Amino acid sequence: MSRRQLFLRLLVKAAWVRKDRALTALLSVTVVATIATAALTVYSDLDNKLSHEFRSFGANVVVSKQGGALTRDELSRIDSTLAARHLIVPVAYAIANGPNGARVVVGGTDVKAFRDLNSSWSVRDTGHHGTQVLMGSRAAEAFSRQGEAVKVSFNARQATLQPEGIFSSGTDDDSRIYLDQNEFSALTGVEPNTALVRVEGRPQEIEAAINTLRSSLPGLEIKPVRQITLAQTAVVSKTRAVVLAASAVIVTLIMLCMMVTLTSSVLERRKDFAVMKALGASNKTVNLLFTAEAALLAVAGAAAGFILGSGIAFWIGRANFDAAIFPQPGLLLPVFAGSMALALLASTAPLRILQRIQPAGILRGE
Amino acid sequence: MFLRLLFESFRRQKRRKSIAFLAIALGMSIATAMIAVAAGIGDKISQELRSTGANLVITPIEDTLDVNLGGVNLKPASSGAYVAESELPKLKGIFWGHNILGFVPSLTAPVTVTKNGKNTLVDLHSTQAANAELIGTYFAQPLHYGKQDFVTGARSVNPWWQVEGEWPHDYAEWPANQPPEVLVGKKVAAESGLSPGDEVEIAGKNLRVSGVLNTGGSEDQAIVAPLHIVQQLLGRPNAVDRVAVSALTKPEDAFGRRDPSKMTPAMRDRWYCSPYANSIAFQIREALPNVRVEQVRQVEQNQGKILTRISGLMLLLTLAALLASVLAVSAAMAATILERRQEVGLMKSMGASNTSVASLFLTEAGLLALAGGMAGFLGGAALARYIGSSIFGSSIEVHPVVLALILCAALVVTFAGSAGAVRKATQFDPAVVLRGDA
Repeated sequence: MSRRQLFLRLLVKAAWVRKDRALTALLSVTVVATIATAALTVYSDLDNKLSHEFRSFGANVVVSKQGGALTRDELSRIDSTLAARHLIVPVAYAIANGPNGARVVVGGTDVKAFRDLNSSWSVRDTGHHGTQVLMGSRAAEAFSRQGEAVKVSFNARQATLQPEGIFSSGTDDDSRIYLDQNEFSALTGVEPNTALVRVEGRPQEIEAAINTLRSSLPGLEIKPVRQITLAQTAVVSKTRAVVLAASAVIVTLIMLCMMVTLTSSVLERRKDFAVMKALGASNKTVNLLFTAEAALLAVAGAAAGFILGSGIAFWIGRANFDAAIFPQPGLLLPVFAGSMALALLASTAPLRILQRIQPAGILRGE
Repeated sequence: MFLRLLFESFRRQKRRKSIAFLAIALGMSIATAMIAVAAGIGDKISQELRSTGANLVITPIEDTLDVNLGGVNLKPASSGAYVAESELPKLKGIFWGHNILGFVPSLTAPVTVTKNGKNTLVDLHSTQAANAELIGTYFAQPLHYGKQDFVTGARSVNPWWQVEGEWPHDYAEWPANQPPEVLVGKKVAAESGLSPGDEVEIAGKNLRVSGVLNTGGSEDQAIVAPLHIVQQLLGRPNAVDRVAVSALTKPEDAFGRRDPSKMTPAMRDRWYCSPYANSIAFQIREALPNVRVEQVRQVEQNQGKILTRISGLMLLLTLAALLASVLAVSAAMAATILERRQEVGLMKSMGASNTSVASLFLTEAGLLALAGGMAGFLGGAALARYIGSSIFGSSIEVHPVVLALILCAALVVTFAGSAGAVRKATQFDPAVVLRGDA
């Protein structure tokens, strides 16, 4: 039997004969690798997933033009400048007179896109679908309690507006009536001078989008809706920090716990160690054997842990964000290196203690 | 005999026992920290989300429609009804008064800002179209209700308001010695060339600009002054036409959306005692008659959505962490017991039954679990507190109930981890184990 064969035999037999010990050690490394992979995978995709939730806050940028309407060209420039996913809803406003002569602000817009943008508003159906008129709850209270048609006039022109829905927003919009842009221009002759824009993305991507808009459209006023961007930045960064801190705590503690287990299982093998030394093995050979065992364990544990952890992260994404969190190949290396370091450290540290003791002493049972 | 065995086992096997103890303590401190963080994060994030501004708005019920165009509300100050300012501290007295984080009253009138040579004139009753608003509000007004003293105003409720210069004082009376301070919105300042230190004339009275306000909203086109000053300028003491309220609310669910008038008394009590935006609005209507209270849906609805996502995420992470710490503790227990085969062999060869061996081991495990669980709880609570204070600036407290939970969990986990190993250790033939063949 050559040296190499003997080495391999010792390696395999050590695991095979004491299966429970090998399995406990493998389980330990796998658990660490799994939880580290899962936590870090979730962390790396978290700002994306959370930022996505902020889209339902509605417009986060308002583009407006002083003295004049936004031209078709300007609108398409906004559209082409924005790299991120976005929704642009141009709106025009005018003051019209309601049924009893009361003044009411009327807005012209693409009603469907406008509803999509303000998805958090509650809209009560009036049963008249497709009329493209939305009425604010306070306006409805004044003019159309049952959702009936309302006559409004602008200068000499008149229009009858049949609301398809009555919305409640909790803002000034509740005093307004929104209708289709074409009908609005026919009534008032006013074209949109404001565009509500929802830019999707992480806080820094939204910031960048605003800056590019400002530089490519210098004639327009571009204002971020600050309370939304501010809240998004705060919530995303703090949640990330919590998840990172929690992951760090979990991984460190589990790692310590596992290291304790691994170290104790190596210390239990001091008889193996002493027999080998008594038979004439050098310190180097024994170290190599224990290190090789640890490395084997680490590779197997890390591989299993990476697959399991990615699976858990994928499932967390599905269960919590309705969108999968995909495995991060970039984590493969850190997870392998970490597991390797853990296993090597845990198994070689006790060897150093053992080397100080005489093999004869260990065999006598001291 | 049993006690002696137990005692000696701890005295003589310090290394093994401390390893098991450490493993349990570490596992349980993960559990404690994660449970505490998962339970506390809802409140913390909800505080962060308060920077989106007020989530409830109070307006007088017989008010006319707002005529808000291009950031300026053109509704004349004389039309419409008011809420009495003196009634507002009652907001703190409602059932969920502690959840009212702050409120900002405002009184608004359309104005025309014109330049006359060096002077800037603000006209309240101009015949020309208004080009700005005069807003009276609280900046940081000290108030008291009953025995409570508190400070509320735009500075705390609207954290996105930025001021270049100084914030004005909240005057109770028109100041005798010097002109009162006001803020001018960014746009007004740009159009009229006003900067901090300049004076503006409103309705024949001089006011000093203390700062330029930048909000990114309609206030940029306004002159924002202390509420009592605006009340005097408009001749409407005690009047407020809108109050923005920032309240800590529970995300709305199907129950929270139900109509309280159609509930049974027991359900209605439960609804009333839950801090839903709707039930807080209901309580505000009880405290202040003749007002309309609306939730700002953009803020309120989305806040719930985001909170659910974040707490859900923390819950799942906590589950994963618990599972991992269970496995870690079990593995450690199994490892320490499997190493004691020889001891088991010795006991059995001297006539000990499987039951007595198992009971010795399980008692040891139980003691370790209690000690480790206690230490883990303390460690975990410290970790949670540290995470809270370093990220949110306020610590996350651990509920004492968690201690009971953690001790039970520690017992269950160590027993589960030990049971398999003990069973396996007792199954071996003592003779074989003692010979060292197993």
